[in-house]
Amino acid sequence: MTGHIYKALGVALVLYSLVYGLLTSVPDLPIIEQSIRNLFYHVSMWFAMVGMMAGSFGNAVGFLRGENLSKDRRSESLAETGMLFAFLGLFTGMMWAKFTWGAWWTNDPKLNGSAITILIYLAYFVLRNGIEEPRKKARISAVYNIFAFVMMIVFIGILPRMTDSLHPGNGGNPGFNSYDLDNRLRMIFYPAVIGWILVGTWIASLRYRIKNLSES
Amino acid sequence: MFVVTLFQSNSRMAKIGPLIQRFAQQELRNSNAIFSLGLYLVGITYLIYLLGGQNASDSTWITLLWIVVFFGAINQASRSFEFESGDYFYYYQTIAGPKTTIIAKLIYNSLYILLLSAAAWALFSLFYGNSVYNPGVFALGLVLGCVGFSAILTLANGISERSGGNATLSSILAIPLTLPVLKIVSAINIQAMVGAPLEEVYELVGSLFALDIAIGLLAYLLFPYLWQD
Repeated sequence: MTGHIYKALGVALVLYSLVYGLLTSVPDLPIIEQSIRNLFYHVSMWFAMVGMMAGSFGNAVGFLRGENLSKDRRSESLAETGMLFAFLGLFTGMMWAKFTWGAWWTNDPKLNGSAITILIYLAYFVLRNGIEEPRKKARISAVYNIFAFVMMIVFIGILPRMTDSLHPGNGGNPGFNSYDLDNRLRMIFYPAVIGWILVGTWIASLRYRIKNLSES
Repeated sequence: MFVVTLFQSNSRMAKIGPLIQRFAQQELRNSNAIFSLGLYLVGITYLIYLLGGQNASDSTWITLLWIVVFFGAINQASRSFEFESGDYFYYYQTIAGPKTTIIAKLIYNSLYILLLSAAAWALFSLFYGNSVYNPGVFALGLVLGCVGFSAILTLANGISERSGGNATLSSILAIPLTLPVLKIVSAINIQAMVGAPLEEVYELVGSLFALDIAIGLLAYLLFPYLWQD
């Protein structure tokens, strides 16, 4: 029963953010105008991705401590779900960038960070596919996973702060910094993040169960 | 705590020196490898010169330099664990253990890649003229960059070697991971070339130094897990 509560809550929060994201009134800012609503759909994808990758990282550490193969399956499932959110975040961001900046892709530190993150985790899946023996595969990919997660945090969390970004709220661009992210936006943005993380956990748990069945 | 345990075990410190010496001897005996690496450096530099590299702007100069160093380093590092595979793997495991081996390996590979990048810098200066305004800062960036670079390459190679993969796997693993380091190093190098005020460079140098420490610590902590059969 408790297993169903978080799924229902996740679906409810996602539906709420999808519907009220379009209905709510938003601050009137130059250039981004109504496209500020992408905050609910695009930024929440990246938060969900980092959440999934953090879960994958935690399970990788857990595997190295106990050599429990089910942790390795959890770690892989969460990384796969994280990749799904990464592609969704990239797609929603590109749509938004085309209409706000006039280009699908720009040389922006945050864009580079997300591209590199995707490359890092694709390499993780390549590495996994290359090893046959399950225990060895789990140990070696856990080592890479831990290393990759730290480098991802450096790339998406630290580097963009050192250089100017085109993103709203960075480098004098109009947008949602601490003053502009007002309560109307917060009321939808935070539930969206929590909702997507819960839904992501659900997806990952389904993948984990499929893996368990195919192993046995 | 890591530093304390590192220095408490004197026997470990005592083994690092001979290990590095041994790595260097293996490299020198295999003189064909060094010769081919040198030939690669000269050849690629001259190729860039023929294709008009002497007219390169500062940022292109840096990009070319790091690409040359990058592929040289990948080539060197892909042989990094060659001697530790097979029977030598058990030999090193018995006499040294993983933690000593990784420290020796990190120091040795850092020095090697540093020599490589210094040689590339010298060749670039010879062919295209040295346009670096502040060589001290440039060299500092190069040193810190090579340390971070070698730590990532060493771990990536350990991973690909243990997974029985080929050289391509180690490049696939290493390329995205090295980008944060390369990004900061090239920013430092550009500032050294245009002669930016030192206060602006310090922040970058500090963050690169912190990143190097983090990468080195991760490699040190994770390597023993790789080193199991």
